[in-house]
Amino acid sequence: MTAEETQERLPVNRREFLNYAWLVSLGFFTVSAAGATYLFALPRFREGEFGGVITVGTVADLPSVDAPPDNYAKTKFWLSNTSEGLVALYKVCTHLGCLYNWNGQEIKYICPCHGSQFEKVGTFILGPAPRDLDQFVIRIETPEGEVLVETPPTGDPIPVPDVPNAIVKIDTGLRIIGNRVA
Amino acid sequence: MLRSIDFKDLRQKTWSAIDNRVRIITAGLGLHELRAVLRGDPPTEKPNPRFKVHTTSFIFHIRPRYYQKGSTILTHTFRLGFMTVVFYTIELITGVILMIYYVPTPDAAYSSVLQIMGEVPFGNLMRDIHRLGAEATVIFTFLHLLRTYFTGSYKKERSFTWFTGVILLGITLFLSFFGYLLPWDQLAYWAVTIGTSMAESAPFFGTEVNLLLRGAPDIGAGGLLRAYLLHVILLPLLAVLVLSIHYYKVSREHGISLPARYEEGDLPAEKTKEAKRRIDFLPDLFSHEIYLTILGLFLLLLVTIFFYGGAPLENIANPQQTPLDTKAPWYFWWLQGLLKLGDKALMGIIIPTLLVILLFAVPYIDRNPNRSFVKRPVAVSIGVFAVLVLIVLSYMGLPQYGIETPAATRIIQDLSPEEGEGPLQEVSYDQLQQGIYIVNETPTDRMCPEMDFGCPEFEEFFTLYTEKVHHAIEAGSLENPDAVLVVEDWQEDLKKVTMRITWDDPETGERRTYEKHIYVHKNSHAGITIPKKMAWRAFTANVTI
Repeated sequence: MTAEETQERLPVNRREFLNYAWLVSLGFFTVSAAGATYLFALPRFREGEFGGVITVGTVADLPSVDAPPDNYAKTKFWLSNTSEGLVALYKVCTHLGCLYNWNGQEIKYICPCHGSQFEKVGTFILGPAPRDLDQFVIRIETPEGEVLVETPPTGDPIPVPDVPNAIVKIDTGLRIIGNRVA
Repeated sequence: MLRSIDFKDLRQKTWSAIDNRVRIITAGLGLHELRAVLRGDPPTEKPNPRFKVHTTSFIFHIRPRYYQKGSTILTHTFRLGFMTVVFYTIELITGVILMIYYVPTPDAAYSSVLQIMGEVPFGNLMRDIHRLGAEATVIFTFLHLLRTYFTGSYKKERSFTWFTGVILLGITLFLSFFGYLLPWDQLAYWAVTIGTSMAESAPFFGTEVNLLLRGAPDIGAGGLLRAYLLHVILLPLLAVLVLSIHYYKVSREHGISLPARYEEGDLPAEKTKEAKRRIDFLPDLFSHEIYLTILGLFLLLLVTIFFYGGAPLENIANPQQTPLDTKAPWYFWWLQGLLKLGDKALMGIIIPTLLVILLFAVPYIDRNPNRSFVKRPVAVSIGVFAVLVLIVLSYMGLPQYGIETPAATRIIQDLSPEEGEGPLQEVSYDQLQQGIYIVNETPTDRMCPEMDFGCPEFEEFFTLYTEKVHHAIEAGSLENPDAVLVVEDWQEDLKKVTMRITWDDPETGERRTYEKHIYVHKNSHAGITIPKKMAWRAFTANVTI
């Protein structure tokens, strides 16, 4: 016990100081290298790639409210225009990751794997899925780049502005998780 | 209730709980002992727990418990073997990181390297470290070999260790060589073409080796994939295996050699005894190795960031055109020099193979039991001679040596090479004033009076041009020349630089012309808006009339 106490009171000598300095440098280096590697490895997406921003056209090109939704197969979303507003639904079922389909007769989305069903606007109807469909942020801009309307973080459908040449962009890097079914 | 807790007791219990955890992690060292290690104090417990670590911990188990004091003298080893391992480790780590983006196909390899250089954060840094680290690995491996040779540390029980060391040198060179191909630029493509052509000249199995390496009669998709697999899987695995054997011999069998003077000198007994005194790995050597590691990392980063122009990347590989001045990586210049001396089978394969066999066999040929310099004059002179021969051969391997290029072509190539950067690329875009400049007529100073600060870089370039033409005239290789430099505004932000040399052909008596056009874009210019290594993408055209 006395030995321990005397040792605790020992001052930091030269070698101990240097050892700490080297170990701290090494630690600092490792942490910076890990940080650099993280930034290095983090993928970046080009425009038009899934994960990046996709320009789907102008407001005039959008499907009408009565028409079936537009299927964007490569960039993995359905562009659904409903009476409530415009949504871009992530194509993957919130249950177990299958790709659900648009059913034109029943006017709803039905998943082929376990039969989950969703409204055209993405809300859950029935089946094992735990939540509404996930969606991506839609941004409608004037050709000059002024944002007219953008999907809010709550994921509410957005009204389509009455500007036919406004450009519709979908940011597939920003996914809004659907509301959990009560 | 609260009053009944004995705080002193609680403190004691917490302490011993932490101490126990630490003992588990450090394989036997408690907190006090750990601090004693860091302070360089003698062990606090008996038996010495620092020795136990060498049995219970894997990392320490592969390290020796002690070195002899004499073997730790800096000027005896220069820590070259250790530093080689440090650089190998850096290569391993940066290599795996680069593999995230690199794609080993001819269609995608070059653009994936461009992506690493231009888009990915820290991409340039990782690539530069990997490249420079590779050169450092080759240098340190070679220096380690020289050190071992000159201190006579390959004798007797160390013979086989030397043998594995030579294998490691070969693996290091091949690792570097196959990594050279991966960027798939002109530099890589033609250097590796030369390298694998040497293999082709080997008797009996040359064609087969070449086919196996290239995956086709020439380098293509197959060759790139094979080089990639060798570079990232096979050779690293072999290196780890052979390095383990190499190091096992050192740490478990014979240790690091003592300087010869302690083994065979007439030193007093107490000096020899002092040299053989054990220095425990914990704490002294361990501290030292941490220091060396951080020093190596620091220096490598320092050089990479502040003194290295960046790992080169030339234009994309073009199997239809060999650029002028194609050369192998510097550590193979000696071989290129050898190749200029004679037949490619003899000089490219047979002699190098004999040299390698000789290198392997050094400890078995050299039966002289003495290790000190003075007692092995023959071995030392052969060593010095071999190093000198390597240097001379390397010089002869340079493209400037022994390859006859017409003087005019040589001058213009030196000023603005077909691949990479030359003096022309050092001149900033704004200083390239349009006009016609004639060597020996246009004065080499005050070339741009209308510019506020003149154009010193451009003047320097034109002076160099003038000097080179003068040298050629003095050497008699250029008769009665007219050398012209023309700078034109070609398009917006694009200038056309023409260098034209006309001279008398001594054989036919006719006038001949060599000229080259270089297009310089404002933003593709060295050191102005984007990093130097990305800069030089000018289009060049050759016309010989």
